[in-house]
Amino acid sequence: MLALARRLRRIPTAFASFIIILLICSLALMSALGVPLTPYSFDQGSADILSGPSAQHLMGTDELGRDLFARVIFGSRMSISIGLVTAMVAFLIGTAYGSLSGFMGGKVDTLLMRGVDIAYSLPDLLVMILVGVLVGKGTFGILFALGLVSWMGTARLVRAQFLQLKQEEFIEAARAAGESAITIVLKHLLPNAMGPIIVALTFTVPSAILSESTLSFIGLGLSAPECSWGTLASDGWRSLRVHPHLILFPSFFIFITVLSFNCLGDGLRDVLDPRTRFKVKPPFGK
Amino acid sequence: MFGQILRRMLLAIPVLWIVATITFLMVRVVPGGPFDADKHLSPEIVANLKAKYKLDRPVVEQYGHYLARLARGDLGVSYKYVNRTVNDILGEAFPVSVQLGFAGLLIAVAVGVPLGTMAAVKRGTAFDAGAMFLSTAGISVPGFVVGAVLILVFGIWLKWLPVALFESWRHLVLPALTLAASPAAYLARLTRASVLEVLEKDWVRTARSKGLSDERTIFRHVLRNALVPVVTVLGPLTAILITGSFVVEYIYAIPGMGRFFITAVTNRDYDLIMGTTLIFGVLLIITNAIVDIVYQLLDPRIKLES
Repeated sequence: MLALARRLRRIPTAFASFIIILLICSLALMSALGVPLTPYSFDQGSADILSGPSAQHLMGTDELGRDLFARVIFGSRMSISIGLVTAMVAFLIGTAYGSLSGFMGGKVDTLLMRGVDIAYSLPDLLVMILVGVLVGKGTFGILFALGLVSWMGTARLVRAQFLQLKQEEFIEAARAAGESAITIVLKHLLPNAMGPIIVALTFTVPSAILSESTLSFIGLGLSAPECSWGTLASDGWRSLRVHPHLILFPSFFIFITVLSFNCLGDGLRDVLDPRTRFKVKPPFGK
Repeated sequence: MFGQILRRMLLAIPVLWIVATITFLMVRVVPGGPFDADKHLSPEIVANLKAKYKLDRPVVEQYGHYLARLARGDLGVSYKYVNRTVNDILGEAFPVSVQLGFAGLLIAVAVGVPLGTMAAVKRGTAFDAGAMFLSTAGISVPGFVVGAVLILVFGIWLKWLPVALFESWRHLVLPALTLAASPAAYLARLTRASVLEVLEKDWVRTARSKGLSDERTIFRHVLRNALVPVVTVLGPLTAILITGSFVVEYIYAIPGMGRFFITAVTNRDYDLIMGTTLIFGVLLIITNAIVDIVYQLLDPRIKLES
């Protein structure tokens, strides 16, 4: 871990991104723990409605006089946790599925990979909208939908790694030593495939944050009383003409967070896995 | 070549059947029906409506009916846009989405590919760093933010361009730019990586040592090989751009397929949902077939028959 951090420090953009991510995550965490970061609470209205940025209200106020900075910090909890939880789900499903496919090989592999091909070719937004309606709106629905469209990339990656690693001598040695299939997968194959998996997960987080904000923006994701950067931007959209600060500030936070994760991912890939460039699903239609 | 196209068309039929079946099951499993939103309807009227559209029959029977109609090219009727068939609605929305999608695709390729190529050729320079930062920023910005900023700057402050509806080419500019932003950035990153890889090949060194100019080497020897992965993503990209970016059509109030899809899903307009999904499937199959043919033109070593 330390060695990784040291190698990452040599890539300035990746390192700077890492610091920014830490900052934003700690803001979200402190907010969740109840540390008073601003003098205002996220839902406290005031007479000072729709004012622009000022010394008193760093990012201005909305139509109910609520401090936008407080709301953006409150929204970071939701946006960041959606990104992290989705990456976790993608890791669990994708790794299990990819391991099975890559380890078994043969007909099982062909069948499982056809499944991934079909799931992969459906447009994410289409699936998320349909699934979101099925499971219901709200945090669980959106997490379910995001998890469902995010695991395929990891599954393909793990499978490809396994197919390659299976040929190596140390696996043959492990088999000869009579180790069980589960031991071989968990102790020998997975640890050797972790590099590319970590890289892929780093790209899953920003992709999930983008998807959530987009869904919430078109009114098919989270909605009040839930509060994320996406719902804030969606609220701000209605008064774009006269009060652009309402959409620009939450958007800036989405942008800077996603950008940092993408830069960190690029850096990690250079360090951990220089071969698999651009194996991550393109961010189209988001 | 001809046999190949024919085989692909035949293969498309089972694929479309699978897509139709999955969507058919999905929309019916989803709780809620097409007439739930109209709260004032009495149960008798709802029952009559369901009978009219044969939604009271067993699902298997509905499925049979749907497939039989589909085989004749009839996509069914909309429950929400009364007296309009799905063919009729999509016939209007599809050309709108095609124009928008192609405009977006054109911009994305015209910006992304040259930018990525130049960044790779000038690897390690300030230009490269700038181009790569710009393109990473491009894939990190949500479509609605690009849209909001473009509308603010060109529509509201400068008043150069209209910001909504779809009436003339001037209405197309901002939506197409919004649509193109993230694919352009993605193509730039992809092109750069691909060109960098090809630049290290032996034949590039040979071309250089023959005394070919930089331009000639890049156009004739590097790009032709480096564009293969770029062409691969152009297939699905075209289909996605044409089927309508939901966000762009939402922002600019454009009556394309994306907008109809969103309203269809919220209204449980079963046939319209299925029609949109099937058109997407057809587009995906066609664009992938075109991609495979372009492959062979770019790289004759790729033979699809095997």
